[in-house]
Amino acid sequence: MVSRNLPLFITFCFFFFCSIQPLAAADFMRSIGKIYVVTGVMLVLLLGIAVFLLVLDRRLTQLENQIKSDE
Amino acid sequence: MIAKGRLWKIAGVILLIYVILAGMLVPLKPGIEEVSPSSGKSGEMLHLEVTGYNVHFLQEASSLRAWLKWPDGRALRASGVQVLSDRQVRLDFSIPSQLPEGPEVQAVTLLVDHPSDGTAVLPTAIFLTQEEGGENLDTGVWEKPANFSKGPFFTFPYRNILAETVRNTYFHVPLWFGMMFLFLAAVIHSVRHLRSGGRHSDQKAVAYTLTGILFGVLGLLTGAVWAKHTWGAYWSWDIKQNMTAVALLIYVAYFILRASVDDPDRKGRVGAAYGIFAFSTLIPLLYVIPRLTDSLHPGSGGNPAFGSQDLDHTMRLVFYPAIIGWTLLGFWMASLWYRYLNLREKVEDFS
Repeated sequence: MVSRNLPLFITFCFFFFCSIQPLAAADFMRSIGKIYVVTGVMLVLLLGIAVFLLVLDRRLTQLENQIKSDE
Repeated sequence: MIAKGRLWKIAGVILLIYVILAGMLVPLKPGIEEVSPSSGKSGEMLHLEVTGYNVHFLQEASSLRAWLKWPDGRALRASGVQVLSDRQVRLDFSIPSQLPEGPEVQAVTLLVDHPSDGTAVLPTAIFLTQEEGGENLDTGVWEKPANFSKGPFFTFPYRNILAETVRNTYFHVPLWFGMMFLFLAAVIHSVRHLRSGGRHSDQKAVAYTLTGILFGVLGLLTGAVWAKHTWGAYWSWDIKQNMTAVALLIYVAYFILRASVDDPDRKGRVGAAYGIFAFSTLIPLLYVIPRLTDSLHPGSGGNPAFGSQDLDHTMRLVFYPAIIGWTLLGFWMASLWYRYLNLREKVEDFS
């Protein structure tokens, strides 16, 4: 089976050995100066504003439908 | 109430675009990420392995200078500097057999100066213990560090543990300012409602309160994400975290109270009265109590807000526009909600 697809096997080995390294999220974050914490914060903000807009959109749609049904 | 015009809304967005670009693209000052070992003895050669951040030691490696600086200002220059990579350097210090006057264990600051990167500082980097005897290694050069190299012109400060997360200052802190302005607008309209009645002031109070709570919740969430990687946990039961959660719960009760009253006039008046009370709790909860105890939050043990130590002049250039930008965005969101409430009322009257 190995001889049938050596590149695939090598790729599999690569990912396997990568996955058993205990590269915790903390180490990764520290290695690039924790810039991704800022990305996380900005994502939270974007999601919060998006939820607000979604709720507003839904309520306005309800109003519009109500107006339409009243005509 | 802010006019329905679009100029201030566009101004808010433009400010936020500037804040995001400047806040994310301006580099940090050089910093010292790691030093090993972190202690030494008098009368010994101290070999330090130093890892820097945002540094390029391989360039102009021969001009690299380093000192160990005592609190009183005197400093010991590194006798040996060996650059290992762009970010790593080995420093040799010959610690004198007699440390300067002071306690038995003294904390010294490590300074690393590079001609094009600038000067990196790590306070209380090394703990030196006064030992008996030891070789008389008084070959160390005592000199006052001077002629610090200036790095790139516009940089944000490098703070240990924080590193790049200091940029969160532009996204987490302004939310609280925005929340305060929104709650202030809510209380102004609550007072107006109690004095002259009318639906509009009540609707505006509701809209501002809702948006204020949203900003407060986002502030807590963004703070939790930041805290996870600086304090170790999303929630540390820190006094500022606790009191802010209490304040937001008090504001959530505003909506529960309104829902319990059916008559629309009474609903508005009861809500307005409670809204004024809720605003008054913000002062003790957010500004008084956290200052009374030590806290993980910056400027603890006296001032949980940002002081001059946390914010330098380069950050202020982005921080103040961030406050204005996020506040304007909050007012835009509140105005949208008010327009929705107003429309809903008109439609219900009609049908």
